[in-house]
Amino acid sequence: MSISSAGLENPADALEPDPSADTALEKAVAGRSPVQQAMEQLRRDRVAVTCAIIIVLFVVLALLAPVITWLWGVSWKTPSGDVVLSSTDFDGLPIVGPPKGDFTWEHPLGLSPALARDNLALWLYGARTSIGVALVATIASTIIGITVGLIGGFARGTLETVVNWTINFFLSLPFILVALILAPIVIGYYGSEPGKLTVAQFASLLFVLSVFGWMPLARLIRGEVLSLREREFVQAARVIGVPTRTILRRELLPNLVAPIIVFFSLSMPTFVSAEAGLAYLGIGVTGYPSWGQTINDAMAANAFNTYPLYLWAPILGVLALVVALNLLGDAVRDAFDPKTRR
Amino acid sequence: MFGYLLRRVISGILVLLAVSFVLFTVFAKGPAQPALAYCSKGVCTAEQLDIIERNLGLDQPLLQQYGTYIKGVVAGREINSGTLSLDCNVPCLGYSFKKFEMVTPFLLDRFPATLSIALGASVVFLTVGVAVGVISARNRGKPLDRGLQGFTMLATAIPYYLVALLAFLFLVSKWGLFPTTEYVAPFAESFSGWFKGMLLAWLVLGLFYTTAYVRYSRGSMVEALNEDYVRTARAKGLTDRRVALKHALRAALVPVVTIFGLDFATILAGTIFTERIFNIQGIGLEALQSIGQQDLPVISATVLIAATFVVVSNIVVDVAYAALDPRVRL
Repeated sequence: MSISSAGLENPADALEPDPSADTALEKAVAGRSPVQQAMEQLRRDRVAVTCAIIIVLFVVLALLAPVITWLWGVSWKTPSGDVVLSSTDFDGLPIVGPPKGDFTWEHPLGLSPALARDNLALWLYGARTSIGVALVATIASTIIGITVGLIGGFARGTLETVVNWTINFFLSLPFILVALILAPIVIGYYGSEPGKLTVAQFASLLFVLSVFGWMPLARLIRGEVLSLREREFVQAARVIGVPTRTILRRELLPNLVAPIIVFFSLSMPTFVSAEAGLAYLGIGVTGYPSWGQTINDAMAANAFNTYPLYLWAPILGVLALVVALNLLGDAVRDAFDPKTRR
Repeated sequence: MFGYLLRRVISGILVLLAVSFVLFTVFAKGPAQPALAYCSKGVCTAEQLDIIERNLGLDQPLLQQYGTYIKGVVAGREINSGTLSLDCNVPCLGYSFKKFEMVTPFLLDRFPATLSIALGASVVFLTVGVAVGVISARNRGKPLDRGLQGFTMLATAIPYYLVALLAFLFLVSKWGLFPTTEYVAPFAESFSGWFKGMLLAWLVLGLFYTTAYVRYSRGSMVEALNEDYVRTARAKGLTDRRVALKHALRAALVPVVTIFGLDFATILAGTIFTERIFNIQGIGLEALQSIGQQDLPVISATVLIAATFVVVSNIVVDVAYAALDPRVRL
């Protein structure tokens, strides 16, 4: 690939004598891998760079959530009954800070109504939930997608049929329905033990997201493998007796880097959005801070009219993170897809 | 063709059987004691639990229970509760001991609301989406096209439920630009009330899906405009407008219709956010409320109905595709 592009650049250089032509030619001949080319295009893309900076900011805040809340001396947990009573008014709204009072450094985003939990801590830990869940689910579904795709593309006969049937089966079930099924089961099992319930809810959430997120990648990889396996280098490897497993790993996988990276970067926003959405419906995580759950609580408390900051903080969190991830994902796809590469 | 259809129907039935069996197993074996969900305030004596289990048939082997359930779906059955015996008509999806109602008629009552949302939104995104896509394709590369492209990219980047939530908060609660969203039966009660109550839900869900349909129809329209027969039509001296709308659009619509067929079931199954945010009493909202009450028969019936829609629409799409596109042979 790099050789042919260097060849194309030669005539242009020859037509226009330029002192830097020699160095330009050298650079071209040095050759860059498709991944390097894509990365360079991404670095030049201003939207992508801006989005990446926003995402890094969110990740840093999420990682440092325990440190920040410790330094600030705030907690997302509900304080004891006396503290709640002494810090909230008769209508449940906090006495200090917004919406009734002015901004205080003690609680920059205010206290939540009725339970007097610190909103900054809720927000930071919500970011942790969002990014953590999305990351784990993305990694898990990528691994499942690669494995099933490789098998589906390389297998013949019954195994191929089984893989295809499985992909179509999972594609035909809307994931939200499975989340609907799991929610009452998890509550039925662990409803009486709050600690275990939270763990079980995280587990079932990760299960639903990863089990219903891998199919697009598996299809994509299967298609690529179907065309790659007829290529000479794969045939050659087979002729000299390389075992199938090694062919898959050493010969095919390196050729599938682009679709895997694109899938990864487009899955992250989907999962962040799904996590918050399910929490908003009350079928996600309930015992641990989550932006979606705060939105739900705020809506129930009529915060739109009485306490806008409480509602807007999580909404803006989801909005900024998902939009940034989506736009970065689009840029990554443009950079890695040879059809749209500029 | 007939053989293909038969195969698809059989495999669809197998998928639904698998779904229903998994549902049945996880609900029967899942929660520590399903019967406990039926005790008032979750407290029962062992004796009461025993009676409930016998009433629900939970003391029988799992496969036998499942057999009874499937028999109820295809042929109806009798549900016994103590001395009471209730006829559960086809398709019997069980009895809700929380609501003291048969599940099937109960969900049938809620179905028109869900269907209204999905149908109305489809009208919006099919008309607006295809129209904008065609305009975009005919102005390919011009500022108008690039503007529309940029806008749709940004719009798809925002999660749907946030768009819906903000639309509800501002357009209904704050500014009162739209009437309060609700479901009113169009024929039994008031047609205008139905239209007013659903309007915002249609627009928001419809415009959200529009962005995707702009992309699909723009893509297939651009492809169709490059075909030889379009060049021939131009060479004959037809106007650009006529070529685009009569010759190219017809071919461009085929893939769009396919995607629509696949989407429709998903929309129908996924109106849960719309129903929740706009407070429309449909099947999705009902399932959501049933979770809090641990009303398992309602939840499993909802999921089974949704899965049926997806399976049926998959088959319909494939058959319609073959009918629309002469190159596809089944």
